[in-house]
Amino acid sequence: MSDELIQIETPFAFNEENQREFDELIGRYPIKEAAMLPTLHLAQNQTGYITPAVMKYVAEQLEVSVMKVKDVVTFYPMFFEEPVGDYVIRVCHTLPCALRDCKVVLEHLKEKLGTDIASETNLAKGTTADGKFTLMKVECLASCDVAPVIMVNGDLHKNLTPEKVDELLAKLAS
Amino acid sequence: MVEERRILYEHLDVPDINTFDVFRQYDGYTRFEKAIAEYQPEDIAKMVLDSGLKGRGGAGFSTGEKWSFVPKDIKPCYLCCNADESEPGTFSNRYVLEKNPHLLIEGILICCYAMGIETTYIYIRGEFTLGKKMLDAAIKEAYEQGYLGKDIRGTGLNVDIYSHPGAGAYICGEETGLIESLEGKRGQPRNKPPFPAVEGVFRKPTVVQNVETLCNLPFIIGNGVEWYTQMGPTYADTRFDPPKPDANTGTKLYCISGDVNEPGVYELDLGLTSTELIEVAGGLRGEEVKAVIPGGSSAPILTHYELDTRLDFTSLTLAKSMLGSGGIIVMNETRNIVDCLLNIMKFYAHESCGQCTPCRWGTPWVRDIVQRIADGDGRKDTITRPKFGVAENGRWGDTGETEEIYEDLDLLESVANNIANVDTMTWNTICVFGIAVSWPAVSYMRKFRPEFEATIREGKLVTLPVAEATVPPEENYAYQQRFVPKEFADL
Amino acid sequence: MAFVKLNDLEIEVEDGTNIVEAARQHGIEVPHYCYHPGLTRPANCRMCLIETYGPIPGAPPGTIGPARQLATGCTTTVRTAPPDRKLDDKYDAIVQTDSPRVKKAREDVLEFLLVHHPLDCPVCDQAGECDLQDYSYRHGHDKSRYIEVKNVPPKKDLGPDVLLYSTRCVVCTRCIRFAEEVSGTGELGLVHRGSHDEIDIPRSHEGVPLQVLDNKLAGNVVDICPVGALISKDFLFKSRPWFMEKANSVCSGCSVGCNITVEYKVDGVYRLKPRFHEDINQHWMCDDGRLGYHYVNSDDRLQLPLKRVDDEFTPTHWADALAVITEKLSEVEAEDIVVIGSAQGTNEDNYVLQQFAHDVLKTTQLGLFGQLLGEEHKFPQFTIEADKNPNTAGARTILGSANGNVVLEGDTLWEKVSGAKVVYLVSGLPERPLEDAEKAALESVDFLIVQDILPSEITQLADVVLPGTTFAEKDGTFTNSTGWVQRIRKTIDPPGEARVDWEITQQLAKQLGGEMNYHFAGEIALAISENVAGYGDATHQKIGDAGIKLAE
Repeated sequence: MSDELIQIETPFAFNEENQREFDELIGRYPIKEAAMLPTLHLAQNQTGYITPAVMKYVAEQLEVSVMKVKDVVTFYPMFFEEPVGDYVIRVCHTLPCALRDCKVVLEHLKEKLGTDIASETNLAKGTTADGKFTLMKVECLASCDVAPVIMVNGDLHKNLTPEKVDELLAKLAS
Repeated sequence: MVEERRILYEHLDVPDINTFDVFRQYDGYTRFEKAIAEYQPEDIAKMVLDSGLKGRGGAGFSTGEKWSFVPKDIKPCYLCCNADESEPGTFSNRYVLEKNPHLLIEGILICCYAMGIETTYIYIRGEFTLGKKMLDAAIKEAYEQGYLGKDIRGTGLNVDIYSHPGAGAYICGEETGLIESLEGKRGQPRNKPPFPAVEGVFRKPTVVQNVETLCNLPFIIGNGVEWYTQMGPTYADTRFDPPKPDANTGTKLYCISGDVNEPGVYELDLGLTSTELIEVAGGLRGEEVKAVIPGGSSAPILTHYELDTRLDFTSLTLAKSMLGSGGIIVMNETRNIVDCLLNIMKFYAHESCGQCTPCRWGTPWVRDIVQRIADGDGRKDTITRPKFGVAENGRWGDTGETEEIYEDLDLLESVANNIANVDTMTWNTICVFGIAVSWPAVSYMRKFRPEFEATIREGKLVTLPVAEATVPPEENYAYQQRFVPKEFADL
Repeated sequence: MAFVKLNDLEIEVEDGTNIVEAARQHGIEVPHYCYHPGLTRPANCRMCLIETYGPIPGAPPGTIGPARQLATGCTTTVRTAPPDRKLDDKYDAIVQTDSPRVKKAREDVLEFLLVHHPLDCPVCDQAGECDLQDYSYRHGHDKSRYIEVKNVPPKKDLGPDVLLYSTRCVVCTRCIRFAEEVSGTGELGLVHRGSHDEIDIPRSHEGVPLQVLDNKLAGNVVDICPVGALISKDFLFKSRPWFMEKANSVCSGCSVGCNITVEYKVDGVYRLKPRFHEDINQHWMCDDGRLGYHYVNSDDRLQLPLKRVDDEFTPTHWADALAVITEKLSEVEAEDIVVIGSAQGTNEDNYVLQQFAHDVLKTTQLGLFGQLLGEEHKFPQFTIEADKNPNTAGARTILGSANGNVVLEGDTLWEKVSGAKVVYLVSGLPERPLEDAEKAALESVDFLIVQDILPSEITQLADVVLPGTTFAEKDGTFTNSTGWVQRIRKTIDPPGEARVDWEITQQLAKQLGGEMNYHFAGEIALAISENVAGYGDATHQKIGDAGIKLAE
């Protein structure tokens, strides 16, 4: 075996508030493993992305193998394994948004941010040099009536036009 | 002009309806109280069965019938509320969660009472951050008000509701995928049987219901079965002897998007036509309707010849399409169907969970074929069939006719049908995702074949005028075979 | 028993049997990848689709026809139906595995399985024993319609002995389920989604592993991989499967007695693979056993008898070595001789040895050598035992089988050895460090005869060394810790002048005037079955490939 095992230098642990929430979470399910998704969301909120230390910690907490955690993290696109910008911009590009010119919005964002679109295995590609924004395409955000839409972190922005994008970026940058 | 009939959405726009106090002013929780006070659990199950309520999530399976499959002697039994709304074109659940979460809680309480369920998980899409916030707040309030928790309102009923966030996987909207995901694994659907009603989450009997289905329950209880069945058509399925009644009762939250002037959610009786719906949604944006997707992106497309098809469970099934989740996407004459199919196929190739072979490798293959056609690299061949006869010069010779063969269109149809065959409605996959892929692929291609052929011929995306792009009704496989049911009342 | 109509056959199968197994029992192949009888059934490969028959909904009662959807053979089990639910009034199930629909479905699924599969059979280890090759040949299309770009996931190093060629993987998840259910170690899983699914161990985003596939059962994932994706580094590029001979045998690594297939060529043993035995090892074996065969092929093997001349070992020939021994043995009294059998030896070796001691040397004090305790490893569905000898139970019984024989072990044995003038010790352990007490005892012996396979601490102390044979070079039987008597078979010839252990002992006996004339191991087994209590049925014919269990 040529590869050495990874050494985790700074172990991860929940902060007090998240620990409290985690304790509450775990009581909701008859098996610990079921708390996987909410626990990973908690951990990601704390660290920004899922590091090997997080995976190890979550595996220990839920009494499953590390691989199970890795398995889940790579399956769901909402979990990141790489650092992302402060603002994660998710641009919906599924049919109803495509019919309402989401391409224009996406191209405009690309041009404005000066970055490419992140892929699931390469988030760095879509992150701005200052680490402020990460631009990614996502599938339907279930807001087809107000298409085209983008989601910035948790907030939905509706009926977008290049002008509205400019306004939004200006607000976020300040 | 058809009028909206707002029932689920009646108080949606009332300010602060998301708070307990305001919800209470608008009859909130009275239907649940009525259920407990006036009915036994069995009565409620019977009422739901009689109401003809069909699951609003996509499959359109009778809710009452589903409940009857749950074994009574195995406890605990769970309720999973499917709030993983991710079918492109569907967005009605999001408004319920964001604006009127107490209605959902009331629906859940009625279901729990009827089925003897003590624990409910609401699997909510990870992207619904606002929805989850509002829902969690409402759940907290309901606990405080004594409508959730132990011994609810002194009735001895215990119900706990937990919200469980997803993390961006379409397949978790499939009921067994949802269950796997809820158990903390990849959302890979399970083999059926056993169905979730018998063995679901944590290997216990589980009722999986869509948000909209559960929200119908308070109104069925509050206003009675008779009131409910008045809405929407009940058909007589004359293929059975005696004819079998097929209920399409209640209202549906139609989500209309695409090329209409006022896209949005419209609550209407089941059984309206696409033309009527477009009218309700402020009319068409553009000159002419080219196509309508009637039930989310996985539903087979309807051409402008099929606009009179009634948008309800039965009629659409008989027209070889489906109502699905009620996500209606309208396309006008400027749209290119090849491009639209490519968009949808990219979606499915991205969202395939990768568990079973046909879907894992078939879906990206279909996407690649469509991509190639859209890029102008579609393969076509001209072949001459040799035929012996009197040739032009008056001598015996080869009089074969040349014929154009669109190799890639045949390949597209064949590969899609190998994942799931749309003609026989059989699939080689574990779950119905397979048919959700091949349905659009095959129906778009068959119904708009001229546009696909033109795209291959020209080597670039070509948008034909509506009449030219569409296969005439007499050649439309679905239009030929469609079966127009007689209304039950006419018998 | 359920009465099933399978294609045109009417067969009886046990309740609860699935269609893949029921068909296999009757010589019909239902192709499958993800199904493995020792693991759970996710039915994800969709290869074993079959057509089931049942009542047609809406039709008059009694009409039966094919179900609309094809079912997976691995998850469809048959059971005896109540009388009113019989099909055609007699069948419990009607199944078609060769209808046109089924054949088409198989072709289609195979086409999908092959779209991303590389055409690297010429350099793939699995070629020749690959389910993808076999099923493609028997059930697939003859050409590919796929002209798009293929996925090329990277080759990965999963652990000390396992490599993953991801391009060849069909994502059947057998290996993942093995790591979860049988070894319980869970190092394996899927990463990514959809067509990008890959098997992997947990790694950081940069690809550095957090855990590797290094459990003691890891090698089994290579066996159960239906294609050439998981490859044993030990066997990588060593041989084409069709060039190797195969023999059914038993692992000599510990007292579990896993059933194995020894795959060999003229020049040595190439690999060991587990063979199914319901009560002993199911489908598995451990890596200690699997990779522990290398000593058989070792260049250091003892090939000639050695005798000590002026404190130096000198190679000699058999006649000379035996003459030296005979001379020494005839000089001393019976009570000064200790004969020590081996727990590595077969029952036949030990029987001849005890007969030699009892009948020829007239001693009843025998020893049993070999006790080598390792660590016990318990897994959810498998145990590796601490006793690293395959035949401790058998050797103990056989050595003590004649009237008056006493089998000494441990301290009492070494006590006895320290007072002896001549000791005839059969070892056969590939590695056996000596404890101080043992060493002192052996050093005190005047004349030490050691019969062994490799130079070791023990042979260092010997006056005469006789080259014996390993489990791969002889026929015989082992008795495992739970009382199963099972056969091992000769695969390769012993190196140089080395001889089968019982032949050496018999030759010695003959030289000393004993009346022993066995021609082959089966003959000795017959003698055992006649003379050793409990071994009445333990003839080679009766033992066969399945083994027999001794009465408790």
